[in-house]
Amino acid sequence: MKKNLFSFCLFLLLTSLVLSACGGAAAPVSTEAAVPTEKAAPAPVTAPTDKPAATEAPASTEKKVATFVYTQELDNMNPMYTSNWYSRITQQIWNCDPWMYDDTNSPVPVLITEMPNLENGGISADGKTITLKLRKDIVWSDGEPITADDFVFTWEMYTNTANTVNSSYPYNLIKKIEAVDAATVKMSFDEPFIPWEASLGQEIIPAHILRPVFEKDGNLDQAAWNRAPTVGCGPYNFKEWETGSFVHFVRNEKYFNPAPKIDEIYIRFVADDAAQTAALLSGDADLGAMVSYPDIPNLEAANVKIVPVVSGYNEGWYFYFGEGNLAIKDVKVRQALALCFDRFSLVQDLLLGKTVVDTSFWQNTVWQDPDLKAWPFDPEKGKTLLEEAGWVDSNGDGIRTKDGVELILTHGATAAKVRMDTQAIAQEQLAKCGIKLETKNYAPPVFYSTYGDKAPCSTGELDICQSSRASSFPDPNTSLFLTSEIPTDQFPGGLNISRLSDPKLDELFKRQASEIDQNKRIEIFHEISRYMTENVYWLGMWNDPDLWGYNARLSGVKFSGGAPFFNVSEWDIK
Amino acid sequence: MGSYIIRRLLQAIPLMFMISIILFMLVQNIGDPVATMGGRDSVRAADRERLRRQLGLDQPVYLQYVYWLAGNDWAKVDIDGDGIQETPGKRKGILRGDFGTSIIERGVPVLDLIWKRVPNTLLLMIPAQIVVMVVGVSIGIFSALKQYSLLENTFTAFSFIGLSMPIFFIALLLIYFFSVLLHRWGLPHLPSMGMFEPQIGKTTEQIFLHMIMPVTSIAFVSIATYSRYTRSSLLNIMQQDYIRTARAKGLDNHYVLLVHALKNAALPIVTIMGIDLPLLLAGGVVTERIFGWPGMGRLFLDHLQAADGPVVMGIVILVAGTVVIFQILTDLAYAALDPRIRLE
Repeated sequence: MKKNLFSFCLFLLLTSLVLSACGGAAAPVSTEAAVPTEKAAPAPVTAPTDKPAATEAPASTEKKVATFVYTQELDNMNPMYTSNWYSRITQQIWNCDPWMYDDTNSPVPVLITEMPNLENGGISADGKTITLKLRKDIVWSDGEPITADDFVFTWEMYTNTANTVNSSYPYNLIKKIEAVDAATVKMSFDEPFIPWEASLGQEIIPAHILRPVFEKDGNLDQAAWNRAPTVGCGPYNFKEWETGSFVHFVRNEKYFNPAPKIDEIYIRFVADDAAQTAALLSGDADLGAMVSYPDIPNLEAANVKIVPVVSGYNEGWYFYFGEGNLAIKDVKVRQALALCFDRFSLVQDLLLGKTVVDTSFWQNTVWQDPDLKAWPFDPEKGKTLLEEAGWVDSNGDGIRTKDGVELILTHGATAAKVRMDTQAIAQEQLAKCGIKLETKNYAPPVFYSTYGDKAPCSTGELDICQSSRASSFPDPNTSLFLTSEIPTDQFPGGLNISRLSDPKLDELFKRQASEIDQNKRIEIFHEISRYMTENVYWLGMWNDPDLWGYNARLSGVKFSGGAPFFNVSEWDIK
Repeated sequence: MGSYIIRRLLQAIPLMFMISIILFMLVQNIGDPVATMGGRDSVRAADRERLRRQLGLDQPVYLQYVYWLAGNDWAKVDIDGDGIQETPGKRKGILRGDFGTSIIERGVPVLDLIWKRVPNTLLLMIPAQIVVMVVGVSIGIFSALKQYSLLENTFTAFSFIGLSMPIFFIALLLIYFFSVLLHRWGLPHLPSMGMFEPQIGKTTEQIFLHMIMPVTSIAFVSIATYSRYTRSSLLNIMQQDYIRTARAKGLDNHYVLLVHALKNAALPIVTIMGIDLPLLLAGGVVTERIFGWPGMGRLFLDHLQAADGPVVMGIVILVAGTVVIFQILTDLAYAALDPRIRLE
């Protein structure tokens, strides 16, 4: 019995080793240093791009197949029904936008002949009409031409309440859209729609495929195309989606731009960062997104190139200016918080120096005043400010008080490790200035819910909320700091969870929202960034780039904050 | 026996009803599914209000429960936000087999999502459970027969190591060694994720290769339960008079063990199996997550994180129903194993 059992165990062990010999060996990796990403580009530029006719990919005996790995599965292939970031960026692989953004975050026309502007008449003098001129050679993957009707149909579907779309913005702002002819789309607005470039360049949907579905079912919520888009217009065609496992794309032979060099792309779904890192390290995947900072040294040691890409997101502290802790409403207290917290060391130690401290909400863009500097780490100055504001440690317990009230602030964030680590460091450093920081953590659906759902950030439960948000990148517009967006019982979905109300700030945002002259708009935002930084209405922690990691066997890879896969057709495998 | 089964099934109805109410209340507190629909951006107020109305989330909780249970095709709802409830509902409710549609994967029926994952989960969990039971019971028998021997002590030690370690630790350790390190050393290695290599396809060999590490993880932490129960139960039985009598009559040791002792020692094992088997359907949440196995556990976790109530409710109700049925089957198994037990 003893002998049999031992033999059985030995057999199991040997079997495992033998079977592992049947596993595929990963492709070899070469050594290549990571290159830092270029910073976000300034104002958008027009660039007429009549791309040459599609050319045949060079003949190859072996298929070039790339494997990407996502830590979140796609939820829907129809752009109407998803705001899932992974679903949206994947659209760039199989679908098409009127324009995309290159690695300098400059717009690049794709379906249109040139970016509309005042000079070429694409934007009317009053800013209320935008006209798009489509290329004549653009086709869907089944050969049907892409026409203005597809744009009109897309708008109709986004604004029809029978469809449970994730967001009808900005289509709900279009007063009228018309197909002037097959290659001309004219959109009219009640007011000049200044952030049009960042918002209107969304993917279109094929009218010839989906209109019959809508007419039959009354909506597109359950269209088969949503899960298996038979027709697209990107460099690749959708082939298969094995739920929970992967989605598969193959080269679009009818692509109207130069044919992609890689034949097939698989995108595999894993549930967390550890699995993604393991896949990159083992060579099971060629590319991963949102790489975790602690994994960077291991990945770089394994010759995985890490590329930080500016995408407009900034991690910061949002203060609560509503009823409650009066300390936060004192600008000197907020300035002291900025001075007493060493964000610079935080970025070096916690984020491995892969990013920078945010000076303002528009860090790394042309919209921030270039002369603006981040609040330095100067705890002595912070203590002085607190004393000037009347906060002193009267009883020697290390916590400052004023009028009998202790300087205790509650800081909340999701349970992401980097945020919890930030909380711990902030707690320790602020304590040295006599500020006690209590911390709380929440699950994302709770943390990001609304005033109507008693969200902790908008009900005064927290004095400080930490999260990463962006403007309408690459456009700088945001509603997060407007008085009109303060949530109330009648308007529970308001976005200004800080309840910040500053008439001067409101006026500046109002001016930029109607300023057609780009240079003047930039000046207004310079003033906004200065004003907000001086008053510490928002305290930047770090610029939050998208961290991409890719295997050195991929070449030609560039990323864009606005459209990460903008040049995926130029990627190749060595 | 027939009347017993019918009686138990009837008792299960109010039980399932109570479970559904409790679960529905709990699901209301997992968060707002609309909150994260903006992706990385905040959801605009107008979109939030519209989505909550279109998805029926603006209704009072009790009404949402009624619609979930009995459907809303007998009622009218306000879809376009004009305040007039003029649009007929389309849901039939769970009592008529309609588990609703996913909020996050818009429009996809919950049952479709679940049934696509059930085979994957059973494919992983059944072999894992077989390994656990066979190896666990075998070790338990060996341990009972060869108490305090060196090999028995070794098996016991490994069993407790497995029982003490969290499964994610075992899983990550296996991945690190068999996938990462072996690859780094230029040796053949096991795949670190998924159910099969998409480029090769869903072949038997592929699935088997991908199963090795997750099955090993599950087995390693669960074997101790079966082995210890078997061991202690057998030790107790082996002391009984009738076993001594059987031996005294000259019966073969193996015969005594397998025919007399094991059958009586099996009752506690049946109890554990009665709990474990229905939970196979739930999948190994942690295991599936780490290995990227596209099963029910991962489906549950992904949709729980997104506060997708219909999917979470569908999975939990299904598992609860399976547990109830398997408890009935366990009782029947007791009666079959032990004639002293009467189903009354």
